[in-house]
Amino acid sequence: MQVVKFSLKKANKIPIEADTVTPDNFAGKTKEEIEAILVWYGNGQCPLGDFFTVEVEGSDSAENTKIVFEGDVSRVKRIGQGMSTGEIEINGNVDMHCGFGMKGGKIVINGDADSWLGCEMKGGEIILNGSAAYYVGSGYRGEACGMRGGKITINGNARDYLGEHMCGGEILVTGNVGLLPAVSNNGGTIVIEGNATMPASEMKNGTVIIKGKISDMLPSYKEDGTEEVEGITYRKFVGDVNAGGKGMLLVK
Amino acid sequence: MRMSEILIKNANVCDPAQGINCETMDLCIRDGKIVESVSESAKVIDAAGRLTMAGGFDGHTHSAGKINVGRFMNPNDARRTLVPGLSGPEAMTEKTRAQVGYNTPNTYAIGYRYAKLGYTTICEAAIPMLAARHTHEEFKEIPILDKMGLSLFGSNWQVMEYIRDKEPEKLAAYVAWGLKASRGYGVKIVNAGGGEAWGWGKNVSGLYDPVPNFDVTPAEILMGLAEANEKLQLPHSVHVHCNNLGKPGNYETTIETMKMFEKVKPVVDRQALHVTHVQFNAYAGTSWRDFETGAPMVADYLNGANHLTFDLGQVIFGPAVTMTADGPVEYANSRMLHEKWSNQDIELEDASGVVPLSYSPKSFINAVQWAIGIELALLVEDPWKIMFTTDSPNGGSFVNYPEAFTYLMSAKKREQVISGFGKMALDRMVLPGLDRELSFYELAIMTRSMQSKMYSRPEKGNLKVGSDADVAIYDIITSDIDPSVEHEKVKQAFSGAAYTLKDGKVVVKDGKIEATPMGRTYWVNAKVPADIDSAMNKDTDIKFKKYYTVSKSNYMVEDSYLPNPVEISTEGEF
Repeated sequence: MQVVKFSLKKANKIPIEADTVTPDNFAGKTKEEIEAILVWYGNGQCPLGDFFTVEVEGSDSAENTKIVFEGDVSRVKRIGQGMSTGEIEINGNVDMHCGFGMKGGKIVINGDADSWLGCEMKGGEIILNGSAAYYVGSGYRGEACGMRGGKITINGNARDYLGEHMCGGEILVTGNVGLLPAVSNNGGTIVIEGNATMPASEMKNGTVIIKGKISDMLPSYKEDGTEEVEGITYRKFVGDVNAGGKGMLLVK
Repeated sequence: MRMSEILIKNANVCDPAQGINCETMDLCIRDGKIVESVSESAKVIDAAGRLTMAGGFDGHTHSAGKINVGRFMNPNDARRTLVPGLSGPEAMTEKTRAQVGYNTPNTYAIGYRYAKLGYTTICEAAIPMLAARHTHEEFKEIPILDKMGLSLFGSNWQVMEYIRDKEPEKLAAYVAWGLKASRGYGVKIVNAGGGEAWGWGKNVSGLYDPVPNFDVTPAEILMGLAEANEKLQLPHSVHVHCNNLGKPGNYETTIETMKMFEKVKPVVDRQALHVTHVQFNAYAGTSWRDFETGAPMVADYLNGANHLTFDLGQVIFGPAVTMTADGPVEYANSRMLHEKWSNQDIELEDASGVVPLSYSPKSFINAVQWAIGIELALLVEDPWKIMFTTDSPNGGSFVNYPEAFTYLMSAKKREQVISGFGKMALDRMVLPGLDRELSFYELAIMTRSMQSKMYSRPEKGNLKVGSDADVAIYDIITSDIDPSVEHEKVKQAFSGAAYTLKDGKVVVKDGKIEATPMGRTYWVNAKVPADIDSAMNKDTDIKFKKYYTVSKSNYMVEDSYLPNPVEISTEGEF
């Protein structure tokens, strides 16, 4: 087991783009090697050691590597971007694009996450013990597919456009979500235990389950009997008719 | 001023304009031109026996104007890195600015990437005159390359009225005025009459279908503009995107259009007609169910005809962005493919649309489309009639040209691609039966030499004494390579020229940008007798007063938009 501990020396105003911070990239590296890894800061690149105090315990393969951020990193973006294995734990808030395009491994965030959490994620797991901002598990601007696999669990609320253009995988939100969750999605499963507004517009495929209240249910859904999931019976709607969709929207 | 002299030694020259087929010789350059000899103080470039051609000339590409709509519709295109080194984000360097994109790269990337492929001249395929200022603004920001553009006339109210009223002289005067207003190089006709019909949600179904409210047919528009084109002695013939593009069975309309031009007598030593992206216009069958190649029929006609040239519009598998003044086609595309759609109304002049799509070898339609482009290139015997294009980015981005060259040069490479097709696709094409493989000489004709005559630019596309010193040296020793087998090597060599020289200046070395000089913009100023010109201007004054959203004085592209203009003057014959 290799554990790499980071703590921010001083709160930064200009965001740090930490797409190089992944277990894949840290496995088997010493403290000095990790400190020398470059990250974008403004329009230039700086070594990680400039910003963080780094502690390394042990040395192991990527899958047995754990990265721990102690404290708030709310101006550090792209942590765990593209990671394929291992674990990242963030004990504080985190900035945008955390887990962007991740393929495997696990990210646990004990705080809030800014927008684009797990966008275009292909595999692995993100557990957010806090609330998320916009575009969780969605696609980059213009892409037809956002999240394609893996699981995002949010033990809190999320804001608008959750799971936009989602094509696979699973998102679970225990709290409420904002406007237009699952907009234009084409696969995958979204479970919202709280409330939602205008869910699943332009859905072509996939399943959306909403256990709380819905504001502004779209008229472009056809009711089609009931469906039982894990012992709970829901009203079943199929659509979005406007998009010729065959998606399933289950509500209470 | 000190003369700048370059001696390119041991160049394996392939220059079809002079009939030179891969012969090793020296090339002399002085002050940006090819010359007989240079002094001993000339800077020496050792080509070391590598393949040397004139700079490439892409005579039909969408690189300024509508491409910008493609850019903002496809922000994700900026991330695409499908062709390493020629696509995707690249940070700025000391010599180059930042680059992004694949099908719709930023302007700087367009210049750099064409230059890396050994291309030095491009022709923007469609300038809506009303938006010409924007086209030239983009031209200004495309480095290295020489540029020209074709102005759209095919659905223009004034054009159709003059044709209906049988006023050929005023029509010619209007064309001359339009070229000057938009600083265009030639006459482009897209789905003649269809752009106007599209304003009413309709289309024209063929050459003899009247345009709503104008009582003229596409055939009359084509013939009328061809006559005006010759009256003005323009350097390029009319450049035609045929009616019924993209529809099964359209090869008949295409051949009919080509036949109609047999009676047009060009007054300049060039073709009477250029038909563009014929791949999209060589479809047989009656619907997408029984869709099949119409290339053999079109090629059969082309082999017997000597009055025209055409370009391929080759399809490249993967994402593409269709952009055309053919508004109704783009509507059909977006509905059929459930894709994003941009539609524009160019007021009195034309329509236009942009739809992104993706060509997949698994789709039998796309597979047959891919085959048709190659079939045309192989079935038409005379390469001097053929310009190589992908109608970038309609059939695919120009950065795939090296890949596409290998389709033409290697039957093995084609087999490799064809092996991924389903039976249905194979039944609908004739490509698997074709074993012709093009030589470097034939490729040079299609990518640079024929363009010289086609656009009446004698200083382009060849290495004759007096021509522009635009030279591409590729890392290929022609005597040591069998392009049929070593197609990967060929592709690699064409993907990054060993040297590209623009006006005698090294702009690319070993596939890297060395310098980014500003290219020229060619435009045509056709002289028209003053009385006809003023009569025509009275008519257009009314158009501007009554219908246009801009005034006439604000319509004209001013000199300041062309930092490096080359005015081609012609005398109209009235």
